Amino acid sequence: MPELDEINNGRKPAEEKNKIAGEAPRIGVYTCYCGGNISKVVQCEKVAKALGKLPDVTVSRTNMSLCSDAGQSMIEQDIRELGINRVVIGACAPSLHEQTFRGTVMRAGLNPYLYQHMGLREQDSWVHHEDPEGATDKAVRLMAAGVSKARLLQPLENIHLEAKKNALVIGGGVAGLRAALEIARLGLRVTLVEKSPFLGGRMAQLDTLFPTGESASLLLRILIERVAAHPSITLLTYAEVTEVSGYVGNFHVTVQQHSRGVNPMVADMYIAACNQEVADEYNHGLTQRKVIYKAYPGCYPSSPVVDWENYDGSPIVLNGKQVVLEDEINTIELDAGAIVLATGFDPYLPKVGEYGFGEIPEVVTLPQLIRYLALHKDENQLLWNGHAVRDVVLIHCVGSRQVEGISEPQPDGRVNDYCSRVCCTANLHMANELREHYPDMNIFNLYQDIRTYGRGHEDYYRQAMKNQVRFLLYHGDELPEVVAAPTGDLHPVLVRVNDYLTYGEELEVPADLVVLAVGIMPRQIDDLVQMLKVSRGVDRFLLEVHPKLRPVETAVNGVILAGSAQGPMNIQEAVTAASAAAAKVSALLGRGYVELPAYVAAVDPVKCEGSGVCVEVCEYDGAIALQTLNENGKEFRRAVVTPANCSGCGACVSACPTRAIDIQGWTLSQYEAMVDAIAIDDLTLLEVH
Amino acid sequence: MENKQVDAVVVGGGIAGMQAALDLADQGHKVVLVEREPTIGGKMIMLSKVFPTLDCCSCITTPKMSAVAHHPNIELFTYCEVQTVNESSAGFEINVLKKPRYVNEKTCTGCRNCEFECPVTVPSHFDRNLGSYHAIRVPFSTAVPQTAVLDMENCLLCGKCEKACPVGAVDFSQQPRYFNILTQSIILATGFELTDLQAKKEYGTRKLKNVIDPMMMERFLAPTGPYGRVLRPGDGKEPTSIAYVQCAGSRDETLGIDYCSRVCCMYAIKQSMLLNGALPLADITIYYMDIRTFGKGYEQFYQNAQAMGVEFVRGKVAKIHEDEEHNPIVRVEITESGEVVERTHDLVVLSLGMIPAYDPGQVFRVALGKDKFVHVPSLNSEPCMTDRPGIFVTGTAISPMDIVDSIITAGAAAVTASTYLRERTNDNVRYKLAVPEKEVSYA
Amino acid sequence: MDEKVVARARTELLKRLRDDHKPSVERTQELLKEQKRVQQAVCKSVRERSKTVPEIASEIEMPTHEVLWYVTSFKKYGLLRENGMCGDYPLYERVEEKAG
Repeated sequence: MPELDEINNGRKPAEEKNKIAGEAPRIGVYTCYCGGNISKVVQCEKVAKALGKLPDVTVSRTNMSLCSDAGQSMIEQDIRELGINRVVIGACAPSLHEQTFRGTVMRAGLNPYLYQHMGLREQDSWVHHEDPEGATDKAVRLMAAGVSKARLLQPLENIHLEAKKNALVIGGGVAGLRAALEIARLGLRVTLVEKSPFLGGRMAQLDTLFPTGESASLLLRILIERVAAHPSITLLTYAEVTEVSGYVGNFHVTVQQHSRGVNPMVADMYIAACNQEVADEYNHGLTQRKVIYKAYPGCYPSSPVVDWENYDGSPIVLNGKQVVLEDEINTIELDAGAIVLATGFDPYLPKVGEYGFGEIPEVVTLPQLIRYLALHKDENQLLWNGHAVRDVVLIHCVGSRQVEGISEPQPDGRVNDYCSRVCCTANLHMANELREHYPDMNIFNLYQDIRTYGRGHEDYYRQAMKNQVRFLLYHGDELPEVVAAPTGDLHPVLVRVNDYLTYGEELEVPADLVVLAVGIMPRQIDDLVQMLKVSRGVDRFLLEVHPKLRPVETAVNGVILAGSAQGPMNIQEAVTAASAAAAKVSALLGRGYVELPAYVAAVDPVKCEGSGVCVEVCEYDGAIALQTLNENGKEFRRAVVTPANCSGCGACVSACPTRAIDIQGWTLSQYEAMVDAIAIDDLTLLEVH
Repeated sequence: MENKQVDAVVVGGGIAGMQAALDLADQGHKVVLVEREPTIGGKMIMLSKVFPTLDCCSCITTPKMSAVAHHPNIELFTYCEVQTVNESSAGFEINVLKKPRYVNEKTCTGCRNCEFECPVTVPSHFDRNLGSYHAIRVPFSTAVPQTAVLDMENCLLCGKCEKACPVGAVDFSQQPRYFNILTQSIILATGFELTDLQAKKEYGTRKLKNVIDPMMMERFLAPTGPYGRVLRPGDGKEPTSIAYVQCAGSRDETLGIDYCSRVCCMYAIKQSMLLNGALPLADITIYYMDIRTFGKGYEQFYQNAQAMGVEFVRGKVAKIHEDEEHNPIVRVEITESGEVVERTHDLVVLSLGMIPAYDPGQVFRVALGKDKFVHVPSLNSEPCMTDRPGIFVTGTAISPMDIVDSIITAGAAAVTASTYLRERTNDNVRYKLAVPEKEVSYA
Repeated sequence: MDEKVVARARTELLKRLRDDHKPSVERTQELLKEQKRVQQAVCKSVRERSKTVPEIASEIEMPTHEVLWYVTSFKKYGLLRENGMCGDYPLYERVEEKAG
C-alpha cells in the first residue's frame, strides 16, 4: 500500500522556477484592442485606467494587438523590468491564444500558470455591440475578476506523461497508407488497421487520375509496396478497432481481426466450388462476385478471403467433402501514442427514383461508369444493356449543393448542402475520355458551376470545349428531370432541363446513358466517433479544431485527421493532408513525452475523509479512485486522482462534503474571489484576501 | 557574420514558409528562414479577415510570426535574398545577400521616433500605395522584426532620424553584406503576387482611379488600413455601389493566364460580407463566370452571402470605362438573359489572379511548369517535391491556394524534407522497395 | 573620443553619402519641396472650415486622388482628422497643436 508521501499525483516535483510566487503579487494587467474587435465597442483606455487603481496592480496597459510580437514583447519587458509576477490579459477567447501567452510569460521567466486570461471579445464586445457603455463596464468587471483571481494564482506544472512512440492509423486508403508511411519514415512505429480485407480504399476503384493522367492502380501499388516493405509498419487487414481507452501518449486499443478463412494455396479451388454470389462493391454493384473472393487483380494482400458478413454458412463441396467455413476472430491489444483517423468516404448513393436511379437501367453513377469502362476498355463501341451508347448526359451535383425542400434529406434530417469538390474535374476528365475513346459519342454536361479550381484542372474544361462537349446550365432549385422515353423511341431515356445558357428554355435531351456525378459522404463510423469522442460538423465530416490554426487536429488530444474523412478532397489533397497529419504525430510523440495542461483535480489528503462521493459523480474512467493507505500502522481511505485521465470538469469539487478537492488553477477560493469582484458595487472596496 | 550549417533553409516568410519552418523546428531540425522583405508575414498579414470563419487575420498570423521569431531552432534573416546555390556532396551552399537597413537590428527597439522625425513621405507598399509612410519606418505595427528600415532611394540623408534615435541605432555606413549557409535541404515558399491591375486594357485601368485590386479592399477593411474605413481612392467618397469583376486575371488566354486562381470567388464573397457590415447601405454586385466555392464550409458561405443580399450576376465583364465623375461603368452580357447592359457603380474591385512572386529557375535551377509555377513532377504522390532532390516547394509557390491549403501543404513539405534529412544521413534507415509480400494469417 | 571629432566625422560621412547618392537625394529634395507646398495649401484650405477631398482639390487645383493620398498621410501623422460627413464624403479638419 502506498505511503501518504508517495502520492504525488503524477506530477514532476514542482520546480522552484520562480521563488517570487511566494512574494506579494505585482500584477500586470493588459487590455487588448484586438485590432478593433474589442476597442470598437469597449473603451479599452477607460478599462485600463480603472484597473490600474486596484490594489496590487503594478501596471495596467493597453495594446492594439497583444498577440503580436510587439505586444508580447511589452509583457515580457514588464515582467523582467518591473518585477511583474502575475499577468492578467483581456483579449479574444482563450481558445485562440492562451497557449501563445503562456509561451510569452514563460520566455520572461515566469511560471506559465501565473497568468490569467479573460475573454473580452466573444464574451463582451461581440455580444454587446449595441451597448458600448455596458460593454465597457462589463469589461472592467471581468478584468477585475481576473485580477482577484490572479492574486490567488499558484505556480503549476504541466502534467508530464511518457508517450509511446508509436501510432495507430485507422484506414488503409491512400491517406491512411501515406500517413503510416511518413510516420514510419520519421522514426516511429505504426500499426495500420483496415476494415476491409484489402488495402487501397477508394483509389483502387479509379482508373486514371487527374491532372496527370497517371494510372491509379500503379501509383497505389507503389505506395502499398513501400508501406508493406517498411519494417516499422504493421498491417492488420480485415480488422476493426473495437475499444479505445487512455489518453494522448498512452492510448490502449483493442483490435479484432477476422481470419481470411481460406488457405491461399487452395483458395482457387474453394472459389471455384463456391456457389454463393453477392453484388460486388468494388464495381459498385454492377457485377457479382463470390463470397470467397479477391477484390481485384493486383490487390494487396493478394490472398482471397471469405466475406463473413454475407457468407450464408452453406457448405462448400470439395473433393467430395463438405466444408463449412468459420471465422476465427483474433483479438489484438496494442498501445499507441496517437491515433490517425483516415476512414475515408462513400460515394453518395442516390435514392431510388432520384433522377431515375434504380428504376431506369440506363441511369448510373460516375463511380459505376468508371468501373464499367475499365472492364470494357478494349471494346470499340460502348454498349449498355446491349444497346449502343452514342448520347451521354452527365449531371453534376447529385447529392451535393442540395437545397432543403427540393432534395430529400439524409436519415439525420439534413440535406447535403456542401460542394463535393472533386466531381467537376472528375466529370470533365470522364467527358474527355469518352470523346477521345469514342469519337462518335455526344456528351452533354448539365451543371450549376464548373469548379475546375486546381492546378491543371482548367485544362480539362478547355479540352472538353475543344472536344465539343455540350454544356447546359441548370439552377439548384430546378433540378433536371430524367424519365424513361416512350417505347419505340430511338433512345431509352429523356432528360429535361431548363437551360440557362439558352435563356431558361426547357430542353429535352434524348440519351442512351445518364451518368450521375455523385458527391462524397463520410463513411459511417458512428462507433469510432463514440469510442474516440471526436466531433463532427453539420456536414457530418470529422471536425478539426480550427481550420487555420490546427487544421488536422481534432478536439481530442492525440487524435489526428487524414484525408476525406475530414471533407471531400482529391488524391493530391489527401496525400498532402496525410503528410501534414504525420507531421503532427511526429511533433507530438517525437520527444517521447506529452504535456497535458495542469487543470486537473487535486486532493488535499488532510481534508479528505474518504467518503467516496467524488468517485460516484466522476464521469471519466480512471480519473479518481479511493485508495487504502497506511500511516503509522493505521489504515484509512483517501481519494487519489490519476491526472492523465482527469478532464478538470469539477464535478467532484461540487460534490465533496469537506471541500477537500479542487481543480488546480481553478480553485473554489479563486472562484469566490472572482464572483466578489463581479458582484460588488464599488470595486475599490474589494477586500484583498 | 560567420557561415552557418543548418538542416533546412526555408525561402520565404509568408504563412507557408513560417508554418513549414515551425513544423521542421518542432521536430528538432535547425532551420534558417530567409525573407526578402524587411518583415515576415507575407500577403496574409495584409488581409482583414479570412474566410470562411471570418477570423481576424492578425489574430492568426501574428502568433505564427512571433513563434518563428522565438523558436530556439529557427534563425530568421529578413531583408535578405538568396544569390547563388551550389550543390556538393556536403549539401547546398547558399550565398545570401543581406541588404542594408541602415539601422542596427540589435539595438533598434521599434520606437518609431526616427519615422516621426523623417520629413519625407512616400507611398506605403503595405497599403498598396494608397497609404503612406516615411523614408525611414517600421513597415507596419505588427512587423516582425519590429525594426526600422531606411529606404535610401527616397532619403535626403538629412540625418534627422539619426539624431532622433534614442539608442543610436541609425547607421548610414551600412553596406550590403554576403554570408554563406550550408544546408541539407531547401524549401521554396516564395508565394504569389496578384496579376497586374493594368493588364487588361478592356478594363481601362490605366486611367480609372476607382477600379482597384482586392488587396486594396483588404486594406480598407482592415482595422489598420490607410483610411480607417472604406473610401474609394479616386476622391475619398464612401461608396454606395460596389462591384466585383471575377476572373479579372485568370481563365483568360488573352492575358496568358489560362488557369483558375482558386481563391478569388471566396475572397470576393468574403469582402462582400465584410462590406455589408462596414457599409450597411451599400449595394454589392459580383459579376462572375462560375462561382467556385468548393472547400469545407465554402458553399454555406456563398449561400449566406446571397441571403445577406449580395447580388450575383452571371456574366463576364467585357469592358469598364467611366463617366465624368469618375464613376466606373461596367459593360456586361448577362449570360442567363442574353441582355447586354451597362451599369454604373461607385467602386469596382477587379478580382485579380495569382502569379508566382518569384522565379526560382535561375538561382535554384528547378524546373517550372507551363503555368510558370514550380514544376512538381509527381503531383499525386509527392505534392511538395521539385525536380531536384533536396529542394522542396510549398504554398502558393506550387499553385494558387488558400490559407488552409497553404498551411496543410506546409506541413506536408516539412515532413517530406524531414524524411529526406533522416534517410540522407542514416543508411540504416533506408529500406528496399518492392520486397515480397509479407505472409498473412488465415484459418 | 572627443565629441567635436565625432560630430565632424558624422557630418563628413553624410556629405559624402549625399554625393554618392546625388540623383536620388536631388529627386527627394524636389519631392519634399512639393510635399511641403501641398501640406501648406491643404492646411490653409481646411483652416477656415472642415472640407471634403473634392472641395480641397478644387480649391488647390490638384487631382482628387492625389489630394486624397496627401490627406490620408496627414491624417496618419496627426495633422488632420475626420470631422463628420458631407453626404458621402468625410470632412477633414486641422488638428491644433496642444498649447503649453
